[in-house]
Amino acid sequence: MHAKQASAKRKSKEAALSALYDEYYDKIVRYIFAKIGNHAEAEDLAGEAFLKALHSLESYKERGFPMHAWLFKIAHNLIVDYLRRTSKRKIVSIETVKVADASDPQAITEIKMERVRLASALDQLTPAQRQVIELRFFGGLTSEDAGRILNKRSGAVREMQSAAISRLRKLLHEK
Amino acid sequence: MGKAFNKILDECVDRLNRGETIEDCLATYPEHAEELEPLLQVVFEAQKAYRFTPSPTAKMAGKKRLNAAIETLEHRQKRRRPWSQWFMGRPRLWATAAAVILIALIGYFGLRPILFPVETTPEPDSSLVTPSPQPNPEGNFVFLISDEVNAIGDFESLNVTISKIGLQAAGEPERWVEFIPEITVVDLTQLQGDKAQEIWRGDVPEGQYYQVFIYVSEVIGKLSETGETVEIKLPSNKLHISTPFQVTADSVTMFTYDLTVLATGKNGGYILKPQINQSGAHQNPSQDN
Repeated sequence: MHAKQASAKRKSKEAALSALYDEYYDKIVRYIFAKIGNHAEAEDLAGEAFLKALHSLESYKERGFPMHAWLFKIAHNLIVDYLRRTSKRKIVSIETVKVADASDPQAITEIKMERVRLASALDQLTPAQRQVIELRFFGGLTSEDAGRILNKRSGAVREMQSAAISRLRKLLHEK
Repeated sequence: MGKAFNKILDECVDRLNRGETIEDCLATYPEHAEELEPLLQVVFEAQKAYRFTPSPTAKMAGKKRLNAAIETLEHRQKRRRPWSQWFMGRPRLWATAAAVILIALIGYFGLRPILFPVETTPEPDSSLVTPSPQPNPEGNFVFLISDEVNAIGDFESLNVTISKIGLQAAGEPERWVEFIPEITVVDLTQLQGDKAQEIWRGDVPEGQYYQVFIYVSEVIGKLSETGETVEIKLPSNKLHISTPFQVTADSVTMFTYDLTVLATGKNGGYILKPQINQSGAHQNPSQDN
């Protein structure tokens, strides 16, 4: 490819990435937070995901894989690395859960307990079901995008999602 | 649950993601309301438990870092561009330069056995080098650099510039995989102990490998005590370790190359060498489902 064309292509990818930052940063932070349980680390990792994407732009080829879905895949890899570094999957305990709105102590306790209950229920799903829930509920992705990341058809994602929600309902309300 | 219901539930999850309420969705599908309501309640509860707004300061700082990184990359490209454009715009000049270089190469390689009779480590046969794999964040191979504790305490910073990485694969004929790191300069003072810095991630052909080379173009250190900048010379421009490891398509192989800096005791000099017992590969299951 001609150098000018390559440079123009790269510039347009950089501009797209910068625009996606405004749209997807919050969603990526929430997706990471649901997996690692730490606000500050989730924000750092989300920022890192965008920088990593920037330095790997040459390898990004659209071909039906939107850039925002690619960003979630990068974020997922960073989470895996993070959890490996911290040696274990974060077990969210009531004591360590931080709540953003710290104004109402009773509400804080309720949210903390709810998170612990939910984390425990999510752990009982299959890894694929959990991934679907994390990408759909916390990452806010569509089933089509989740399917691209998980290498599954959107119909299969919808099926896994229904099964996961039913299972979560049983786990959360059986006691 | 049938396919049609799965689609309705999916649409309702999308609508909740967009900020609509459970009631909005039930109003659209009153015939499924009884079945939908408890499931959507689960979605709502889960989202409520993990709902939080990231700090605007962190978001802004991240955006600044991203924009700065974009600017740095553009600046680097701009600095390179004028020279190449200027040169390529003068066909006579580059034809002459190419001829001069060709003659010099023929002269050098023709006379090398006479001028330099010492045996040197053979470079990989280019016909046996697999085309350079491109970086890929979802690749099956990750290359990291670390530093074993030694004379590193003497340095405030120790920047190693790595121009290329080579993996030698087993088999007949032997094959090479070479790639250029995404991060070329690593400061070893930041990578002591268990810390390691990822410098490349991408896809590497499956197989058994047994040697890893890193090509080092420059090592510049700043001494803590005096603030003096020193250049550490290497006997050759590459360091290698022999350690067998396997790369497979269904797992991520993470190879950590541990470097160590040692004081030579002569003239306060230092040498850089690979630390074989701290280097090596380990595999993680693939992140793809």
